[in-house]
Amino acid sequence: MRKITLPLLAAGVSVTLTACLDTQQQDAKVTIKKNPYPSSYQPLAQQQTLIKNATVLTGTGEKLDNTDVLLQGGKIAQLGKGISASGAMEVDGTGKWLTPGIIDVHSHLGVYPSPSVGSHQDGNEMTSPNTSEVWAEHSVWPQDPGFEAARAGGVTSLQILPGSANLFGGRGVTLRNVPSVTMQGMKFPDAPYGLKMACGENPKRVYGDRKELPSTRMGNMAGYRAAWAEATEYKRAWDKYERDYAAGKNPQAPERDLTLDTLKGVLDGEILIHNHCYKAEEMAMMIDLGKEFNYHSGTFHHAIEAYKIAEPLAENGNCAAMWPDWWGFKMEAYDMVQENVAIVDAVKNSCAIVHSDSDSTIQRLNQEAGKILYRAKESGFALTEADAVGWITLNPAKSLGISDKTGSVEVGKNADVVLWNRNPFSVYAQAEQVFVDGAKVYDRIDEKYQAKSDFLLGQK
Amino acid sequence: MKLLKTPLSRVALFLSAGISAATLAIGSASAQPLAITHAKVHTVTGQGVLTDATVIIEDGKILAINPQALPAGLAAERIIDARGKTITPGFINSFNQLGLVEVSAVGESQDSREKKADITFDPSLAFNPRSSLIPYSRKGGITRNLVAPGGGDSIFKGQAFAVDLSGEFDSVVKNALGVYVVVGGKSKGSRAFDLQTLWHKLEDRQKALAKEKTKQEAKEKANKDDKSKKDNNGDKEPKRDELILDALLAGEKPLFVKANRASDLLQLIKLKQAFKLDLVLVGAADAALVAKQLAAAEIPVVINALRNLPESFDAMHTSLTSPATLTAAGVKVVLNTSGDTHNLYQLRFTAGNAVANGLSATQALASITANAADVFHLDAGRIAVGQAADLVLWSGDPFELSTRVEKMWIAGEEVGTSSRQDALRERYISKSTLPKAYVK
Repeated sequence: MRKITLPLLAAGVSVTLTACLDTQQQDAKVTIKKNPYPSSYQPLAQQQTLIKNATVLTGTGEKLDNTDVLLQGGKIAQLGKGISASGAMEVDGTGKWLTPGIIDVHSHLGVYPSPSVGSHQDGNEMTSPNTSEVWAEHSVWPQDPGFEAARAGGVTSLQILPGSANLFGGRGVTLRNVPSVTMQGMKFPDAPYGLKMACGENPKRVYGDRKELPSTRMGNMAGYRAAWAEATEYKRAWDKYERDYAAGKNPQAPERDLTLDTLKGVLDGEILIHNHCYKAEEMAMMIDLGKEFNYHSGTFHHAIEAYKIAEPLAENGNCAAMWPDWWGFKMEAYDMVQENVAIVDAVKNSCAIVHSDSDSTIQRLNQEAGKILYRAKESGFALTEADAVGWITLNPAKSLGISDKTGSVEVGKNADVVLWNRNPFSVYAQAEQVFVDGAKVYDRIDEKYQAKSDFLLGQK
Repeated sequence: MKLLKTPLSRVALFLSAGISAATLAIGSASAQPLAITHAKVHTVTGQGVLTDATVIIEDGKILAINPQALPAGLAAERIIDARGKTITPGFINSFNQLGLVEVSAVGESQDSREKKADITFDPSLAFNPRSSLIPYSRKGGITRNLVAPGGGDSIFKGQAFAVDLSGEFDSVVKNALGVYVVVGGKSKGSRAFDLQTLWHKLEDRQKALAKEKTKQEAKEKANKDDKSKKDNNGDKEPKRDELILDALLAGEKPLFVKANRASDLLQLIKLKQAFKLDLVLVGAADAALVAKQLAAAEIPVVINALRNLPESFDAMHTSLTSPATLTAAGVKVVLNTSGDTHNLYQLRFTAGNAVANGLSATQALASITANAADVFHLDAGRIAVGQAADLVLWSGDPFELSTRVEKMWIAGEEVGTSSRQDALRERYISKSTLPKAYVK
């Protein structure tokens, strides 16, 4: 990890030495652009759409039978029975189910795209235990055919994360799942950034093999703590600069450090933590680490052992993003239970998420949630489809800091919805129509709404 | 003798199965028979689905279907009333490392690979029937599995073997069942060399065999002329790899080739035709492009119905509809799960997804039972008299997420599905004043 310099008084001696004088003329204020690669996303062409008589799972725990949903101006305009809207395109939802658009909080589409060839391995900057300076968005290949496949599975938003080789892997980015030539064209407007952290076996293996810190779990913790200590100093230096400048002084801005910019963003509460962390004892330590350095430890991903600490997770406001059944590929994934999500979900104020981390299962997050729903019911959990849908819609939206905009079928929210040909927790269920901001982005029957990646075009 | 309500049609079925009434006098048989009654039986045979049917199991085999009466003196606890629920043959998965790998990243628990492994590599010696993956896999209704070697640097990865999922120490059903070869694009080198290696290996052995045969005939002729000479003196014993190649060339052992690109599949069709092999293609991502040729050459394919991304330049045309396309073209399709062995239980969901994408439910069921049994030469996969009694009683549609296994039998023995994962769940949802470690 780089040592930061605090050149508050070191440079520009003749001018700035007198900066402490109250009457000094100020240099232009140094500010760091927080969003230098801004979203250029525009909703696709849209038409007012009225879906009639569907079974609606709202994502907020409700199931509404024979209900109409009006999508207008990119928003869910009305929800109820007997809605009519002149000029709206009507879709008969009889026998069909409508859910919020699916949100995957953990994807590597675009950074580990198909085809999975060496030139496409852009998701893991395995060169230092702390690469908080890298941003996944700078690796995203928007032509990854995986985006189309995920869209056919009802995925409307997804977070692209860097990989898990490092203690700090870099920034993640939240995307709208729409076809675009540029990453910016997919970027979810105003979604917070995420910082990927990783516990456990990956960092200690990658760096341990190089005889570098960390080679142990205690080395992992030492690495996090050293980084947060540096980030704290960096933030203090910037805060002082801001304070002094506001006081009319002419301080010198701290030297810019891209790595620490990201960590400072977390300490400032602007960047959310997404922590690859499997084991109960490690998640508990990561919660304490957040408290030691005064930030929130965010969402635990791949949280195989979350069921062992369901209560502390809820008490501390941590989300846990889990699979129904992946296990056994390493020791930290050995204690899998299929009801993990349900056990976490059963605690008050919990935030249980089903995530994919896969270009294949992202296409079937509904089935992934279904597996949990039914296994948990067999084990005595009182759960319904209305509960299970929140694991792949509203809870991931909360985790990503976008639940004010999407994640549920509620009037005023973005019209991100999926119309399924049947109960979405059936193995036979298929998304028939998918809408993002009220615009149809996928239609299983109408080829006009089936985008195809440049890469696949013309392949014989 | 407890009498069943037996419609005439059932009697007819029973008789058509070729069992005489005398066979039913089994009171003196060594093992206690078991009767499953009132079941919806998916036979995966020409008999189709039998409703309100009865299946009698004895000595690990299916003794009778819809007999005129239950065996005499059958104890009440040996009669299972299925109450109209579905019974299928146990499902068969394949080409994974079940029992060879406990935790993939823990080298010491990994026995599927060896750098120097070649065609003779027989990993069945390492099979661990007590692996925690096995009871968990039974949750998917899997009763048998074809385990494939991970192999080493050679294209010949070694020999596949079949196991049942009873968890018993004798659960390797058949070792050295077939040879597993992998060809296709690789980061260094050419697939042409690998295809050539495979071809040459077979061709060289075939020539050597022909030569030996000529020599042998000449010798026999000479021996006939000179009766004083002893036969076969000084003949070389074939080497281990040669014996395996001989079995392939004689069509006694299947050759399983993992390949994906359509052009590779066409090369392998030629290989089959040249050497009259019992060839099975595995992976076969782009098989739908050459479905007609595969059907004409009678080559079965083992595919994962969930592969649908252009994951490499060998797999540019994978599709969720491939199982349906291939089946419609007349290819015998076997579905499997690819990826990590730990979730081979998902086979039934794979089949369900294939149905959602155009395969009929009947074809999907056959693809994980009868087709697999035929292609892997296993005595299983159908509910028919004389077959191994691998049966699963389901709470509903076997492919649905909401369904679970209620009961299952492997070679006639009832097995449970309770796994280590269930014990962990129970521990952590139970209430206790002591730490969870005391909950057992």
